[in-house]
Amino acid sequence: MGTFIRVKIDAQKCLGIKKSGECVKICPVNIFEAHGDVPLVITENEDECTLCRLCLEKCPSGAVSIHKLYEK
Amino acid sequence: MRLYEFESKRLLGAAGIPVPPGKVISEVDQLDTDKLVVVKAQLLIGGRQKKGGVVFCSNLAEAKEKARRLLGSRICGCDVNKVLVEEQVKFKKEYFMAVSYDDVEKKPLIIFMFEGGVEVERMARIHPEKVIKESFEISRGFMEYQARQIIAANGMKGKELLRVSRILRQMVQIFLQYDATLVEINPLVVTEEENVFALDAHINLDDDALYRHPELETRFGISKRQGGVRIPSDFEKKAAEIDDLDYRGVAGRVIEFDGDLALIIGGGGASLTSFDAVRKYGGSPANYCEIGGNPSVKKVKELTKLILSKPGVKKIAVIMNVVSNTRVDLVARGVVKAILELGRDPSETIAILRIPGAWEEEGFKILQKYGIEYCDRTVSIDEAARRATERVKMES
Repeated sequence: MGTFIRVKIDAQKCLGIKKSGECVKICPVNIFEAHGDVPLVITENEDECTLCRLCLEKCPSGAVSIHKLYEK
Repeated sequence: MRLYEFESKRLLGAAGIPVPPGKVISEVDQLDTDKLVVVKAQLLIGGRQKKGGVVFCSNLAEAKEKARRLLGSRICGCDVNKVLVEEQVKFKKEYFMAVSYDDVEKKPLIIFMFEGGVEVERMARIHPEKVIKESFEISRGFMEYQARQIIAANGMKGKELLRVSRILRQMVQIFLQYDATLVEINPLVVTEEENVFALDAHINLDDDALYRHPELETRFGISKRQGGVRIPSDFEKKAAEIDDLDYRGVAGRVIEFDGDLALIIGGGGASLTSFDAVRKYGGSPANYCEIGGNPSVKKVKELTKLILSKPGVKKIAVIMNVVSNTRVDLVARGVVKAILELGRDPSETIAILRIPGAWEEEGFKILQKYGIEYCDRTVSIDEAARRATERVKMES
């Protein structure tokens, strides 16, 4: 699990890999991976997040959120 | 990565450049020849003949005796594990030829001298007029006529010109094909029969391009190794493995020392500056290293853990110059995460953190959250090093 960054996918909003899967395709540092039709966060990679926001911009349903744990 | 002479000659031979017949041996019993031979210690250093690493023999018994003496000996701190036994070649002329890079012109550079067997740097100082240098555009390739023009400039002609210029072109092919940083033949000799041989060869390959050339191992038996002349320690080998974890940036180039202040330093020149500054203020570095090119958080973390786990290390200093292609926050994440995973307190373990530059605002937030003493660009590398050494001394 990330020490500095937490990446969450809201399952209620997520459209799934078949209808979207944009987060898996776009992330340059492999935060996401597909498990069947479900995108999941690879928690051991969370701290590699570069805050590029590509996943936020590409997700058609706004299901992805990124949290900076050092700002709490 | 510097190649041994016998490895360099394998590449030359495959490219069609004549080399003296010979074989590399690691045991005297493997030696069996009735020719006049020269026995050459295979070491990653220059000037082997002056240091007794190259000996000429007049018969098999002498060759075996001299090979026996060389094998297992040490020359300039390096163990002789292999020798190359080659037939002696009588020659009437010798030349120096090399392909390297001109860092100013940003082009490959041909260097040619009508005197071989001498140090080109020394010749360039004393007789610069004898050193021919010519760069070329990679995008346009290097043609046979260009090779002939370079060599014919000082009067060589006929079959010798054709043979030597062909070899020069073959050297350029090796240089480009294998991502070399240097391909040198010194000397290239011409015999009475007008045959041409590469008597000695020196090839350096770009470490970062080795992954593109699996045939070096499969075809030529040349395996990737770390370090140059100096054999890396186990600690340094582990650090190199960390740097190989992924392609992102550099978190390595570690040299082990025995001090109590671990260093995560970056930028090549800034690393040297930081290291020297620590020594200047009486600090004792546990290591040298270089990070840069925005290494992954994981690589920085693993390198930090490795260095902090060294016996005797009390604290760590993280010092870089103003960074643009490395992110301050990502380095901070790697360093702090390593310390937390070791069960230590980042504010106690980090003597100083001085990395101004890209994403420094995010980086400073992380440092503030963990109570880490840090400084921005208004504090020099020199001063940061002084503060780090003072902190280690205070708590000793």
